Amino acid sequence: MKINMKNQRRIENLKLSLDVFLSNKAAVAGLIIVMLYVIDAIIVQVAPSILGIMHPDELIPNFISPAPLPPSWAHPLGTTYPGIDLLKSILKAIRIDLFYSAFVVIIGAAIGSVIGVISATIGGLMDEIVMRITDIFFSVPYLILALAVGFVMGRNLTNMSLALVIVWWPIYARYTRSQTLSTKESTFVEAAKASGVGRLKIIFKHILPNALPPVFIQVSLDLGSVMVIFSTLAFIGFIVTASVPELGYLTSLGLNYVQSAPWAVIFPGLIITIFALAVNLLGDGLRDVIDPRRRS
Amino acid sequence: MNLLNYIIRRVLLFIPTLIGLTFIVFILSHVSGNNIILAEYINPKLTGAARQMAIQKLILEFHLNQPVYIQYFYWLNQILHGNLGYTTTPIFSGPVVNAIELFLPNTIMISIVATIIIWYLGVWLGVFSAVNRDSLADHTIRIGSFTLYAMPIYLIGVLLIIVLGVYFKILPFSGVVNPILVSNLPWYVNGISYPTHIILIDAILHGSWNVALNAFLHLLMPSITLALGIVAGIIRILRSSMLEVQDQDYVRLARSKGLSEHSVNYFHAKKNAMLPVITLFGLTVAGLLSGAVVVETIFNYPGIGYWTTQALLSSDIGGIMAATLLFGLLLVAANLIVDIVYAFIDPRIRY
Repeated sequence: MKINMKNQRRIENLKLSLDVFLSNKAAVAGLIIVMLYVIDAIIVQVAPSILGIMHPDELIPNFISPAPLPPSWAHPLGTTYPGIDLLKSILKAIRIDLFYSAFVVIIGAAIGSVIGVISATIGGLMDEIVMRITDIFFSVPYLILALAVGFVMGRNLTNMSLALVIVWWPIYARYTRSQTLSTKESTFVEAAKASGVGRLKIIFKHILPNALPPVFIQVSLDLGSVMVIFSTLAFIGFIVTASVPELGYLTSLGLNYVQSAPWAVIFPGLIITIFALAVNLLGDGLRDVIDPRRRS
Repeated sequence: MNLLNYIIRRVLLFIPTLIGLTFIVFILSHVSGNNIILAEYINPKLTGAARQMAIQKLILEFHLNQPVYIQYFYWLNQILHGNLGYTTTPIFSGPVVNAIELFLPNTIMISIVATIIIWYLGVWLGVFSAVNRDSLADHTIRIGSFTLYAMPIYLIGVLLIIVLGVYFKILPFSGVVNPILVSNLPWYVNGISYPTHIILIDAILHGSWNVALNAFLHLLMPSITLALGIVAGIIRILRSSMLEVQDQDYVRLARSKGLSEHSVNYFHAKKNAMLPVITLFGLTVAGLLSGAVVVETIFNYPGIGYWTTQALLSSDIGGIMAATLLFGLLLVAANLIVDIVYAFIDPRIRY
């Protein structure tokens, strides 16, 4: 009977959350756009021939007519130097960008939040040391640090994303730590302590379930910014191999033709902007769902 | 007294961060043995026996045959004496110190112009948006800043080039000055202007007003791009903090004693609403430095950022490491200054 009640309440809660989310039209639009990007990535991964793509992992140059061509029926978004069809390349690039950005955010958040939670629950000297280490990581602009770390490891996509993980985890460590600390101080944890609940049980049952959801939202919000930084690194010349379909690299290919062929730089850049926008809208909606104060 | 204590405490906290920063750069250049440090410090012009001798000398100087943690101190000692190694890039090759001397002034120049734009535009639009809440202008500003916030900075630069440079043809978008204008000037040799290396200031010092005007126009596009990449965050923060302050007692008091809407908003509310923006200034500096790398590359603007990407493209480890250290130092110093300024402005922080 009791379990039934609990389930019912949970379902009601879920329904309320869904209502709050759906009432935010911008967030729903964001969700739909993000889903389109994910679907594209899945199709290119599983069955690229549906989209007419033969080689999902490389750009197909055409040296017979290398100069960028304007959008036409044969090339709906035009071509970029050297004769690369933009639409197909963008469809391929979304998969690569999405995969690596998700990798950076998820691994970074996993490492960062474990360290943050440990540092906040143990406290004392350990906490102080962890915070000083994160301070050091914040003392270099992240783009530069990622550039230097990636350069030392060798310039390719995997190292580029590993470098971003190394730069990114301190942000989550900080954030998780502050969330955990503020939850630790809250009245319901005090109450649990007063009624004699064990320390581990307090951490796992009371602190973590309340401290982590905001972290997840931060993670989803960061997916957009990480993709932007990832493409920026590629844009300034991090990628050595000439045939990697990556949005920032695609933009840089058209850079010398900006006067005669603006589409070659605008389209790949816009694709990233739309994604980052959609992710931000989605994140705002999710924040409304999780924050009870905004649920009126 | 309290303020002094606070400042001393902040400066002391600055030291471990500096040690950490130098340690990161040190580890990065030692992670794959001694080759990187040799590549950084050996004069690329040496060959044959002279090169071997230079290598031996470096091994002694940096104590490369000793454990890494001892090497760190010898390396730090060299850094403190201004020995940052060599850089070999298409735009500059020679000692790193000379490269910094040449490129840093230009980066500082666009950062200053960008900061002025950010400050005026950001504060004006942020306050305006909050004061005219839910009006058409407010919605436009919000959507605009939301979109700018999501844009990669290179796209902002490229769009500006297309609109202002190619379509309307009002602003130049490559280099620091029109090369024809400076071809026969005594103070401009081999693409380097003397004495400050900032061509705008040098032109004013030498009284060549047409060169100064041209240099100023060349400065605008990179600075505007840099500013637009950062201003969106300022507008958003300032708008929400303006709205928050509206409910505070002192703002209500100002309103109830009959002050005009304008003076309530712009003199009473704005002052406290600016506090979060000032904390954000540290982040702004980080954005300016990261942005400079991208912006200078797009506009072929010879600053530290352009040099960094050139070093990346020509696999020049000396340039990359020195740039990392330099960018780190600039950011740490900016954060320290922000903290101290904040203590002056907001007395609550000192206790």
